[in-house]
Amino acid sequence: MSTSLRLKQKPPARGGQVPDAARRGRRLDLLPYALVTPLTLFIVGLALIPAGFTLVEAFFRVQPLNPPDEFNGLDNFRQLFADPAITASMGNTALYVIIGVLLSTVLAIAMAITLQKQFRGRSVLIAVLILPWALPGVVEGIVWGSIWDSNTGLLNSILSSFHLIDHYLVFLGQNHFLTILGIELVQVWQITPLSTLLVLAALQNIPADLYEASTLDGCSAWTTFSRITLPLARPGITIAMVQGIIATLNVFDQPYILNGSAATGASVTMQTYFISFQNLNFGEGYALSLLITLATLASSLLVLKFVYRPVEF
Amino acid sequence: MISKRNRLRGTALVAGAAALSVLATACTGGAGASSSQTKDVTITVALFGAPPPQKSLDAFTKSTGITVKWSTIDWDSLQTKIAAASTSNTYFADATDVDWSRVGQESKLGWFLPMEKYIDQKAYAADMPQLSSFTSNGHIVGVPFDASYLVTTVNKAMFAKAGISAMPTTIDEYTQDLQKVKAAGVAQNPLNIPFAAAEGLSTYWYETTQAFGGKILDESGKPQFSSPDSAGYKAAQWMVDAIKNGLVPAGNINVSDSESQQTLMAKGVTASTFADYSGNVGSLYDVPASSSVNGAVQYIPTPGMTGATANVSNPDGIGILKTAKYPEAAAKFIEWFTSAENQADFAGANGPDKVMPGYFLPSRLTGLEKLTAAKGLAGGQELTTMLKSSKPVFPAGAPVWYPQFSNSVYTNLHAAAAGSMTVDAAIKAISDSATKLAGQ
Repeated sequence: MSTSLRLKQKPPARGGQVPDAARRGRRLDLLPYALVTPLTLFIVGLALIPAGFTLVEAFFRVQPLNPPDEFNGLDNFRQLFADPAITASMGNTALYVIIGVLLSTVLAIAMAITLQKQFRGRSVLIAVLILPWALPGVVEGIVWGSIWDSNTGLLNSILSSFHLIDHYLVFLGQNHFLTILGIELVQVWQITPLSTLLVLAALQNIPADLYEASTLDGCSAWTTFSRITLPLARPGITIAMVQGIIATLNVFDQPYILNGSAATGASVTMQTYFISFQNLNFGEGYALSLLITLATLASSLLVLKFVYRPVEF
Repeated sequence: MISKRNRLRGTALVAGAAALSVLATACTGGAGASSSQTKDVTITVALFGAPPPQKSLDAFTKSTGITVKWSTIDWDSLQTKIAAASTSNTYFADATDVDWSRVGQESKLGWFLPMEKYIDQKAYAADMPQLSSFTSNGHIVGVPFDASYLVTTVNKAMFAKAGISAMPTTIDEYTQDLQKVKAAGVAQNPLNIPFAAAEGLSTYWYETTQAFGGKILDESGKPQFSSPDSAGYKAAQWMVDAIKNGLVPAGNINVSDSESQQTLMAKGVTASTFADYSGNVGSLYDVPASSSVNGAVQYIPTPGMTGATANVSNPDGIGILKTAKYPEAAAKFIEWFTSAENQADFAGANGPDKVMPGYFLPSRLTGLEKLTAAKGLAGGQELTTMLKSSKPVFPAGAPVWYPQFSNSVYTNLHAAAAGSMTVDAAIKAISDSATKLAGQ
């Protein structure tokens, strides 16, 4: 029991006299605050202040090449929606999110169920599984680039070796949907490990006697999965989906490395970079960042509403 | 024994100190006043390549008292850091990259100190043909530290196999020769054009436009490529036709310039690159570890409409940031770094110990001559001639809106090559973009 709880249970004596023990307790109460202060400063300094700054500056014209900075209301947003490159990137990003979140969640559930069972080499498999998540996106883009490459790529080489194709295929850059799919598969490869661990953690909380009862009742594997596993893993699945949304809405490295700046794969975050650091139009950059934040928030709330259910054991 | 209370107090103290240090760190980092000191100072040089050999840097420190802290940062991150540091008036480095394509922006914004304050402008201009690429509004934003210009390379062995002994001198002859190489089955796709939506595609188009006898923009920024009979239009059509007709590998739709040079030209998959990097013969194609076409690839004078044409400059420069702590010391470093002797050394004139990894060619004519004389640089004579006649894409310096324009060039040309739009639509989109940007 903490010192602060003890203080609540034993109020100061009447007449203003504070017992020694209580006085000591009050001094000690500073400790938690001191401990969280560095982290709080980090969060305030590196997240909240920049976020507040972005929120305000999104409504200003901030262009070092065309000073001065001035309030321009919703002009930045109007400009963004009038730019076909931006609207195309919004469509691309929506596809990244839909494909990425769905695929990574389904794969994560399947892999977590597999890993839930005890088997020889399970720990090693979990350690290996986490590797793609630990790799930087740029590295993954380069590695997968050598797989998708249309002139010298591994995939073409394998397909050709098995006489499945008579000439090398172009996977990225020509067909819009194929390009998005090829790029997003790389990101799914990256984000699925974390999703798997999140779902696995939720699965491990499910009491074993529920499974024993379902076995005794003669439930099929599908019934056990759909009536016990899936409903009770919802909190973990929700967190996995939210982290998937955050990652896919902010995808940058994979499309940039694999498909350059081409409209077939450019993401909104890439456009934020181009607008801010290539065109030096920081106002529009702030506005687009704000839109990404709002989209992340809205998507996450939707997942919370439709997927999350509180679970008590 | 330390009591629990004292231990908690100690923990709180450490936590508090950490918090204060976080606060202190957050509040520092702004650019302080600069110093003209040039002795016993340490300057930071941030560039995208590896540093010169430590021995060379030590010699510089010994002779000047200036220590160099070299920071290698990739090109894209470097541009972001320059923008972020300059707009927030924060110190990031004393000397750093000045890319020719950013000269307009950086000059207008005053992010770099004018170099004419520190160098003998006339002497530098006489020995560095590409200095003009770094000049904007009468100010020198940076000094080219290596010479890069676009050149035409040909795998003569592959051409010979197709029965071609005389190298093409015009763009028509060049196209016919490539068709012969393809028809003879020497290479399925003999021409290398990197169609990835990246800067390398823009510069390829600039070089091809010059070969077709035209230019991209006039002095006021008006596009010169909108009409179907203009050089820029014809160049774009020629490039897109090349991939559609199979002269260029279909997979090049997503291949960048350096990647295509390494995986196609250096492996003998393609027989020619119209707009290659100067220096690639010696540093890539003739290097057994990275190439299977050693001795086969050579530079040829870039074919134009009626004969050889000038080459487009594509140099890398170095300048002094306005937030530099020691601008005078940085200027001394730049003077040393771009001297003819050091440039020749960095390029390998005096043995591998003095080579700066990744260094292409001296930007000084005298440096290139020293290099050619010292080690018989592959194609040295041709390179010197081409360097002398190399021309910037924008003689008055890149416009402030160049990055947006280039983005429009490479995304639209890429789309035309991928078949998602026509050449006409691509050219119209690029032209509209230039007109809009120039009118702002």
